[in-house]
Amino acid sequence: MKLTRGGVLVLVGISVPIVLELRTFLGFFDIELPLIAVAVLELLFLVGVAVAYDRLNGSRSAGS
Amino acid sequence: MSTFVDRYPDEARVVRATLVVSFAALGIGAFFGLIQALHRTGYLRIIDSTDYYTVLTGHGVLLALVFTIFFLLGLFTWAVTRSLERPMPNIRLTWAWFGLSTTGAVFAAVAIVAGLFPSLDMSADVLYTFYAPLQAHPLFYIGLAMFIVGTWIAGADWFLAYRSWRSDNPDERIPLQTFMVLTTMLMWYLSTIGVAVSVVVFLIPWSFGLIETVNPLLTRTLFWYFGHPVVYFWLMPAYLMWYTILPKLAGGRLFSDPLARVVFVLFLLLSTPVGIHHQYLDPGIAEGFKFIAMTNTMFLLLPSLLTAFTVVASMEHGARQRGGEGYLSWLGSLPWRDPAFTGMALAGLMFAAGGFSGMINAGMNINYLVHNTLWVPGHFHLTVGTAVALTMMAGSYWLVPQLTGRRLYSRPIALFQVVLWFIGMVFMSNGMHRAGLLGIPRRTAEPQYQSFDFSATIGSVTELRIQMAIGGTLLFVSVVLFLFNVLLSAIEDPIEMPVDDSLPAPLSGADGSPVVLDNLRLWTAIAIVLVILAYSLPLASIVSDGGLFGESGTFPVFIEAVYWIVGVVV
Ligand code: HEM
Ligand SMILES: [Cu+2]
Repeated sequence: MKLTRGGVLVLVGISVPIVLELRTFLGFFDIELPLIAVAVLELLFLVGVAVAYDRLNGSRSAGS
Repeated sequence: MSTFVDRYPDEARVVRATLVVSFAALGIGAFFGLIQALHRTGYLRIIDSTDYYTVLTGHGVLLALVFTIFFLLGLFTWAVTRSLERPMPNIRLTWAWFGLSTTGAVFAAVAIVAGLFPSLDMSADVLYTFYAPLQAHPLFYIGLAMFIVGTWIAGADWFLAYRSWRSDNPDERIPLQTFMVLTTMLMWYLSTIGVAVSVVVFLIPWSFGLIETVNPLLTRTLFWYFGHPVVYFWLMPAYLMWYTILPKLAGGRLFSDPLARVVFVLFLLLSTPVGIHHQYLDPGIAEGFKFIAMTNTMFLLLPSLLTAFTVVASMEHGARQRGGEGYLSWLGSLPWRDPAFTGMALAGLMFAAGGFSGMINAGMNINYLVHNTLWVPGHFHLTVGTAVALTMMAGSYWLVPQLTGRRLYSRPIALFQVVLWFIGMVFMSNGMHRAGLLGIPRRTAEPQYQSFDFSATIGSVTELRIQMAIGGTLLFVSVVLFLFNVLLSAIEDPIEMPVDDSLPAPLSGADGSPVVLDNLRLWTAIAIVLVILAYSLPLASIVSDGGLFGESGTFPVFIEAVYWIVGVVV
């Protein structure tokens, strides 16, 4: 699958509210996630996607 | 090869004119939306809080009524003309309804915006629901009435086109797009009777001072009799595009024509007898009627789920035509670089989310929790504000070139624009839904009361405000990009074939489906019976309790006490 610039935008746009709501979800179990942890998680997620994408496509298309 | 504007230049001109009105309303309405989003979250306040209702009325009327319905008028004219393959029977009539509804919309808009100028003795801060006891300047109601009559004449125009086609093609099935237009209009005729009676019989005489009082519950009920079906009047143009245009853009064909017909018939039957589900909290309507409205509402899930199935199946078919494989990886083979496709697909996705919050609104008991909170705007910005509005914008990227004979100015900007809308709406609607769960009210400039704080168990209200403000801003930027792109497209140089405007035949055509589906008289008759069943008893009891004009003497007890005290003191 090809990741386009639009695709990245969608990914960021959806993932931000989802990690934010992760705090609500964890709140049900009395776990309080600080806002900074959310930022770190989001960053890790995006790096993860980038790495996975690179692994999957790196062999086929270098540099694009 | 030729495109729509070459084949039907006169019709293309009318459709362009309706789109100009529609997009002008979109621009102004979105600006009002930005003002509200920033004002009520407290980030930027350029208006006085006392003007908030004026701006909110402008926002609701211009977007939910003018933008959507003018787009529909254009789209349906296009759809009828191209699917019947003949020009409108009488182009003067076509211009007449355009002129009437445009004048009406301008009257209403003038009455609203005048409220921002204290020197003008005119205002219409009645919100887009415009029922009593809020009262507007007569110009507003008159404009509204003209607008509605304009849509009626437009419907008549399409029925006349159909009739002349029918006399030449006595044995053929109604072409799918025309079938969609006609069933939608039948629903519209049936449901606008309510609002027409409310405006003409009660609100106009009342605003002129000819009658002293109106029965507020009666005008509310008449409004919602129309107020629920109007959401399908917004949605049906989007459905028309999802069923007939989206599969083509995806690279395939509509999965099933008969199923599409069934869905439109179901909407004709089921949209009107449910309006009382907006009145779960209205005193004066018995619980039993509310319960019936709730059950009827749940039936409306059926055509929506059928649509989800058919549209997704058609998209999958398209993807497989383009070489897509696997359970889910076919999704990657869809033409995501095409802004018209991507916009419509994202709109459909958000509609699914809106459907879930809609089910919550529909439940009589859960509704009490979210009623009149920001949850509700959160819900309908996903449905009308995205499923409909984004589909209309995305569809324009495919339609406008056909109507002008010019190419789209910029596809990358268009793609960015639809994605930006999606992201902006994820933020704004998420913030709104959650704020609603905390009890933050809708329709207020100052949701922060003195000595009272809304509190979130997790996170903070500030975070939700930030989400709404960011989302609202992105949405506004998205609208600006859209208008900019369409405007520049309109001044490109004309070219031979600006867009591939052919629509392939469905996989499963109309021929195999029961002929009874095309029996519009039958469906209309059943729809009328259902409306009578759902509404005659509640209306009768409202009128017998409160009087037709509200003059019966049953005040709430405490008001009588006030009269008594005043009587004793004076
Ligand atoms: C630029 C994009 C938009 C922004 C920033 C925006 C923002 C808002 C906000 C903040 C409210 C809540 C106001 C309140 O309850 O106090 C609202 C209400 C509303 N919006 Fe939007 N909106 C946008 C687009 C749309 C679109 C495209 C539609 C419909 C096609 C729409 C229809 C409505 C309606 C019907 C209301 C309710 C008005 C009322 O309560 O009377 N909005 N909008
Ligand atoms: Cu409804």
